[in-house]
Amino acid sequence: MSGLASVFAREARLAWSGGGGPAGPAAFFLAAITLAPLAIGPAPEVLAAAGPGLMGFAALLSVLQSAERLYGDDFADGTLDLYALTPMGLPLLCLAKTLGQGLATLWPLPAIALAGGLMYGVPVQASLMLAAALLAAIPALVLLAGFAGALAAGVRRSGLLIALIAAPLMVPVLIFAAGAGRSGFEGDERALANLGLTAALSLGAIALTPFGIAAAVRSRLG
Amino acid sequence: MTTALADLPAMPALLPAALDVAGLSLSRGEVRLIADLDLALAPGDALLLTGPNGTGKTTLLRALAGFVRPDRGAVTHEGEPADTIGWLGHADGLKPNETLRQALRFWAGLHGTPRHAILPLLRLLAIDALIDRPAGHLSRGQQRRAALARVALTGRPLWLLDEPAGPLDGAGRERLADLVGWHRGRGGIVIAATHQVLDWPGAKTLALRAAA
Repeated sequence: MSGLASVFAREARLAWSGGGGPAGPAAFFLAAITLAPLAIGPAPEVLAAAGPGLMGFAALLSVLQSAERLYGDDFADGTLDLYALTPMGLPLLCLAKTLGQGLATLWPLPAIALAGGLMYGVPVQASLMLAAALLAAIPALVLLAGFAGALAAGVRRSGLLIALIAAPLMVPVLIFAAGAGRSGFEGDERALANLGLTAALSLGAIALTPFGIAAAVRSRLG
Repeated sequence: MTTALADLPAMPALLPAALDVAGLSLSRGEVRLIADLDLALAPGDALLLTGPNGTGKTTLLRALAGFVRPDRGAVTHEGEPADTIGWLGHADGLKPNETLRQALRFWAGLHGTPRHAILPLLRLLAIDALIDRPAGHLSRGQQRRAALARVALTGRPLWLLDEPAGPLDGAGRERLADLVGWHRGRGGIVIAATHQVLDWPGAKTLALRAAA
């Protein structure tokens, strides 16, 4: 267990010191939700209705945008070889590594989504629901991005491959997380159900994706 | 040199090491690199893999580590590969923003090696003064030495080293020989792919030839 914690802490520290930490995804997310109203138009009721869905979508894109570094750097500098030979086993290590790096870089997204929701004219309660749904979605999103990132590690133009692999896998997460925000906005009782399903997807991803990531890493090392 | 060796702290005893390779055949793409290789190494042994570029030295090391699946034949370790192998690839596995202290503490902790072994090992490799430098600020040779210290900190009996002396200067190669001698003296095995002439007492040599 202490091994897991040390991998988690190291990956979080490296993500923070190496690549500006949360700045990249946060800037991308902010840019997306600031630019979208310019394209959609200024009608307040349209913006408020589109807000929750748009935030969910923009959050997904900012996770994808940072996914290339999840396994690409470790592949290039030989760290993956060493990780494959650790005593704790590769699946557990991949889980700790992906979550450590993901949480260190993506933690601002729910807060920005909350502010963004208010900015779009979404009521406070629905904005809170949206932020909670994004928080619940982050483990699933980052683990799926990690799976795609591990499959594409060391491949040229891996960003393209990652988008093609991860985007379809992220569809259910997007539907439920954005759905929680939308239902919150429309004031119907499905918001909590959507939030619960988002959290369930994250738990499922925590249980299953480490094995997929580990298999992908092994295939890349061969 | 021997004084530096005497200063090394007692590290946990090595697991018994033994490596047995039977009828191993490897290829890279369509090219058969190694055919029907037999190899047996006992505690204290060292093996140097030599040969021109592209003859399969790295591929053989990766097969011994279990990364590459052989076409035929078997590699048998005493125990699980994930419990016996200390790996040094052609890349050093260092992060540019991480200091040697942070990195080596992490790897030592992961392998259950006590932290007080770090500094004496760095002293043996003559990089103890650099312990608080980020790896990105070190020269290639210094990074190689740090990576060698990491291998030693795994406390694993079977060391697989890919060009360990590549960027090292003359003094560095002597330090490497000391480190290898220390490891073999504890009952460890060292296999190294190399282009340099490494003067390790009693080391066997396996010269790989270009595929026909």
